[in-house]
Amino acid sequence: MTPSSGASARTQPLDHKEIVAAPRTLVLVGNPNVGKSVLFGALTGKYVTVSNYPGTTVEVTRGAAEIGGLRWHVLDTPGTNNLLPMSEDEQVTRDILLREPEYVCLQVCDAKNLRRGLLLACQLAEAGVPFTLALNMADEAAARGIRIDTDRLSGALGIDVVSTVAVQRTGLPLLLERIPEAGVSKFRPRYDAAIESALSELEPLLPAARLSRRSLGLMVLAGDDSLQPWLASGASAVRLERIEGIRRALASRYPESLRFVVARQRLAAADRLHDQVVTRGKASAGSALARRIGAWSTDPVKGIPVLLLVLAAAYLFVGVFGAKTLVDFLENTVFYDHVVPWTEAFLRFVVPAGAVQEFLVGPPGLPFRETSGFVIGKYGLVSMGLAYGMAIVLPIVATFFLSFSVLEDSGYLPRLAVMVNRVFKWMGLNGKAVLPMVLGLGCDTMATMTARIMETRKERVIVTLLLALAVPCSAQIAVIFAMLQGLSFAASLWFSAVIVLVLFLVGWLAARVIPGRGSDFVLELPPLRVPQLGNVLVKTLARMEWYLREALPLFVLGTLLLWVLDRTHMLGLVERAAAPVVVGILQLPEQSASAFILGFLRRDYAAAGLFQIYQPYMSTGTMTRVMEIQVTVALVTVTLFIPCIANFLMILKERGWKTGLAISAFVLPFAVGVGAAVNLLMRRFY
Amino acid sequence: MPALVQRQERCPLCGMAFDAEGQGCRPSCPLATGCRVVCCPSCGYSFPQESGWAGKLKGWLDRRKEAGR
Repeated sequence: MTPSSGASARTQPLDHKEIVAAPRTLVLVGNPNVGKSVLFGALTGKYVTVSNYPGTTVEVTRGAAEIGGLRWHVLDTPGTNNLLPMSEDEQVTRDILLREPEYVCLQVCDAKNLRRGLLLACQLAEAGVPFTLALNMADEAAARGIRIDTDRLSGALGIDVVSTVAVQRTGLPLLLERIPEAGVSKFRPRYDAAIESALSELEPLLPAARLSRRSLGLMVLAGDDSLQPWLASGASAVRLERIEGIRRALASRYPESLRFVVARQRLAAADRLHDQVVTRGKASAGSALARRIGAWSTDPVKGIPVLLLVLAAAYLFVGVFGAKTLVDFLENTVFYDHVVPWTEAFLRFVVPAGAVQEFLVGPPGLPFRETSGFVIGKYGLVSMGLAYGMAIVLPIVATFFLSFSVLEDSGYLPRLAVMVNRVFKWMGLNGKAVLPMVLGLGCDTMATMTARIMETRKERVIVTLLLALAVPCSAQIAVIFAMLQGLSFAASLWFSAVIVLVLFLVGWLAARVIPGRGSDFVLELPPLRVPQLGNVLVKTLARMEWYLREALPLFVLGTLLLWVLDRTHMLGLVERAAAPVVVGILQLPEQSASAFILGFLRRDYAAAGLFQIYQPYMSTGTMTRVMEIQVTVALVTVTLFIPCIANFLMILKERGWKTGLAISAFVLPFAVGVGAAVNLLMRRFY
Repeated sequence: MPALVQRQERCPLCGMAFDAEGQGCRPSCPLATGCRVVCCPSCGYSFPQESGWAGKLKGWLDRRKEAGR
């Protein structure tokens, strides 16, 4: 279709005043990364002004365009997912829509991710804003087999919908033809009876504004504090009190926050609309079943069997296949039967007898397990450093990240977050916190970085603290599994119960002690699908590479440190210095102090050191009651340490020096304190 | 470790497709300056960008997919 008119870039630069004085205004809105700025550039040419939105540090770009023979002031807003703002950027976009006098909107949406765009379209429709919808990146959506029935979508929304490829300017002429005719959408998401009734009570009490009263009423019900100044300036104190009364009465009907309830019901409306207009190629096969399983997995009751099934599968794969079968094969068959003896024989052949040979492989004639050579002996790089890193840790890391990638690619992880939301609320967090926590079971350092997913500082600090304190990483889980196998079931239960108790108790206390506020839980759920093998393998490999780059040098460093301490007779000194804590408070054997020293490098390394002390008794079944208590106490104490030096640095980086040092100052004495308490309790009740 | 490769990424958590440019790990990382961890602009989820062996595997899989079309 050939348009009768089009945008033309101005030939003369315009100043800010001239731009905003244009007779008509076009506001571009859309989710982040949908090509909004490309479209803005195509509409306005290069004559734009950039200024901070009044009272904020958020930049807003304005430009001029000629559309349909008229001059337009075009305003590019920061990307937003929601008109109920959760960040300063989103608030600026909402405030522009609320305060600009006369305008029409152009919503730019990623055609590949229509669901997210429709959620925003629902809110623009509710707000009574005249708008046109541009389905951008239409070519990429088509390439992925996503077909959108634009006529049907246009009919359902009651506005013009145009497919575009902004980078190629495809669809732009048609879009320009439609923009001046933008109308108000007739689409209205319906909410449950209680919300609709509260809205009908609330709407007459609200001051008039550019946005519809229904839309503003929903924002007020959801507890949008940023609307307070506008409300206070337009409503009397009595009205404000009535508004708050309606909101509170409605909130008391739901266990979740109203923000969450409204968002969920609006999302359901967007989902229904999405399903009416989108068809997929091969991907749609079995989508009904996927949707049903997806719905179960977020349900607090039906989700439990799904969760148990996932946990059982993960345990069988990581805990049994990874931690037992693979570890046993790599450690005993590959390393101790072949790699270590071959390396020892090779080095004894290559390196002349004497101090250097002793340094590398220990004294001749003695089995490698009884010597203390640097490369082979009891602290040897091959026998301890590499054997530990490659034979014990790697299989667990690989199987864990493989499981994690499967969960991630299937779309189950965000559903798990929805299901456990209530549990985490108790710890001042929301369901999203389950993601860093689960990832922490793979690598706490990586997970500390993922704590950014939490929206407030308070939540990030709590997640970081809990990760540092009570979430063992896969390397440590490997050694814990190995040690728990040598303990009775009761001792294993003591260990697990103490760690879980500490996690919840510290979380609960932190939620009450750490200043700040939590946030509401809004997370987009991608469709549930069968994981794609290629994606899973690539993601697993990328995580393993990242992990090994971080972890392996530390294994080598730990080995070297221990060897240096041993050779310089410092280890004995350190053991004696740590004796008051290790022997006096925790009642552990003096030599376990060296394991604790390594715990400052990596806590799993400490567990490995403890494993070496008790392994002979475990393998022969001669563990006594006192030894079982000692192992449990040592494991609890070490597990509650800061995971590793890399994690400590990551905490400093992500949370800042002050918070990072405060977390460390809390964790170390707390770990020893809990260890001492467990020792006392076990000696009395075990 | 090299910095991020500028390309389209898809968040494994929320499904958001975005340009990796400007979404990298902060350069003050004490472990490896400019490591290849990407942060989703929509949900904040961090994930390592496929590089090294994973990048090679991804390239090989993409080429196979293209050839199959």
